[in-house]
Amino acid sequence: MASEPLAGVKLFFREAIGRALRDEMARDRRIIVLGQDVGRFGGSYREFAGLYEQFGPERVRDMPVAEASMIGVGVGAAAAGLRPIVSITYMDFLMLGLDPLVNYAAKLRFKTGGQLAAPMVVKTTAGAKGQGVAHSQCLEAWVMSVPGLKIVAPSTAADAYGLLKSALREEGPVVFVDHKRLFPTAGEVPQGDGSVPIGKALIRRRGSDVTIATHSYMCRVAEEAAQRLAADGVSCEVLDLRSLAPLDMSTLCESAARTKALLTLEEGQLPCGVGAEVAFRVQAELGALRVGRVGALPVPVASSPILEAACLPDAERVSVEVRRLLSTHEVTPAKRGSA
Amino acid sequence: MLLIRTFEEALLQRHDHGFQLLSSGQEAVAVGLCAALQPGDPLLASGRSIGAALARGVEPRRVMAELLGKATGPCGGRGGRGHLAQPSAGFFGALALQLGGGADVVACIFGDGACGGGALHETLNLAALWRLPLLLVCDNNGYSVSTPRSEALAPKRLADLALAFGVPGRTVDGMDVLAVESAAVAFATLARSGGGPAFLECVSQRFASHSTAARETRSAAELLAARASCPILRLQQRLEAEGILSVERRAELEREVRSRVEEALRFADASPYPDPSALVHDGL
Repeated sequence: MASEPLAGVKLFFREAIGRALRDEMARDRRIIVLGQDVGRFGGSYREFAGLYEQFGPERVRDMPVAEASMIGVGVGAAAAGLRPIVSITYMDFLMLGLDPLVNYAAKLRFKTGGQLAAPMVVKTTAGAKGQGVAHSQCLEAWVMSVPGLKIVAPSTAADAYGLLKSALREEGPVVFVDHKRLFPTAGEVPQGDGSVPIGKALIRRRGSDVTIATHSYMCRVAEEAAQRLAADGVSCEVLDLRSLAPLDMSTLCESAARTKALLTLEEGQLPCGVGAEVAFRVQAELGALRVGRVGALPVPVASSPILEAACLPDAERVSVEVRRLLSTHEVTPAKRGSA
Repeated sequence: MLLIRTFEEALLQRHDHGFQLLSSGQEAVAVGLCAALQPGDPLLASGRSIGAALARGVEPRRVMAELLGKATGPCGGRGGRGHLAQPSAGFFGALALQLGGGADVVACIFGDGACGGGALHETLNLAALWRLPLLLVCDNNGYSVSTPRSEALAPKRLADLALAFGVPGRTVDGMDVLAVESAAVAFATLARSGGGPAFLECVSQRFASHSTAARETRSAAELLAARASCPILRLQQRLEAEGILSVERRAELEREVRSRVEEALRFADASPYPDPSALVHDGL
């Protein structure tokens, strides 16, 4: 199971997904791919390229545009002993399949007293890239609150590879959230097993003044902000959550206890968001802590490039929020709750 | 059928069962269908699951325990009425069976209320496209809680919903267990021989309101008419007329069933509740 960091291979994020699927499908015949455009077309982002040719139409199945039945068939197939991965091209349309995901997949083991399980992956793509109000959303927080679901959201090709492998080996449903703007990014993917455990965050950049806890594409925004701030002598630690459910509270608390300031950063909405959950739980464990959060403006993401950019967090907004946070005095427990 | 009716009558004497969707009046649909299934054929039931579970052969004592929230239910008291499951009456997908190359049939019972939703149409499309061995059984009791079928669903015959997908559909009298059985056998045989899915509409009558928590909206006359079409009575009269069932044998059957139901209640009552301290860490 241990990863081999030596002699990595450089892959695009989208290729890392395809590679993980290819390796796992060759290892485990129970894995099948279901979804729209996953067959000959190779996936909307070419992340499934070559799978249809290698594994055939029985294991790589194009489905009609019907998200409820994509996930519903996935749950049934999983309960019957297969290990399906269901592709929902846009996370915006995950909501059409939430009933089978939440009411069947996530609860199956619980409600049948362990008689049945739904080992399956729902892979879906979040993030804005010029496609407007219904093809841009980051809805990770919606599914984080569902008992029985695990949620992962990689930010690098290596993690896309490693987390997808782990997700395909899980005994229950995992939502794998990738990101449109990450597909064309490249990174080193280790040779060998390369699986990444679910539930483990990773410190991407060491720092001492503030912890920026983030995930997916926003890790890159956090890094950019950290570089800018470093020029002014502000030292940011960038913590890539990688798993949103379960959260790696130990890495989060270890980091925030050192820096004594926590900024959460997400591309989705702030109310009831990933950051709200992270900040509350870290504060509940550590007590006095400066906490701030950055997310999208409370409006839909427009397709106009100017409006889209205005809505989404960027390095500038992150930098401003870090400075504001660090300019506040360390809060005492009595003052908490103002964030 | 007699077991289902007696079981539900006993359950209704209790006040600690949460809320139930009863199968009384609609016994013939589940029983007729199950007569067409082989031991390995999965049956997926809707929320009105007591009749289906008992017809499929889940032990009455374990069904009773599940409905009363006891640890000895097949789901450990976590599923209850709406999510009753046991491998012999459980949640399985037709796709996996097709890939596995087996000759099994998957049967799925749902109400007329499900016919207005998209999931049924998505399922019909896929089952037809992939020629899945799926037997869709619509237990049409004429009401979606309070809304009559005529105000909720446009098609005159619900079996016609399947026709657009090239899936054979048939409507039978759901109060006649032998009619249900013979139609189910024909469709199951078709599915087993690779003929793909089928849609069987069984027109039935429920004797009670939608659930034990729902108000009755039908008139007294309508309820009386429903009860007059009782599937148990109908089969009994036929068997008696044909000389197959004697009065003595019927009384004996009733005694047997009553004693099984009493035993089920005793078993459930003697069973412990699940341990709440294990709730978070166990079974998710």
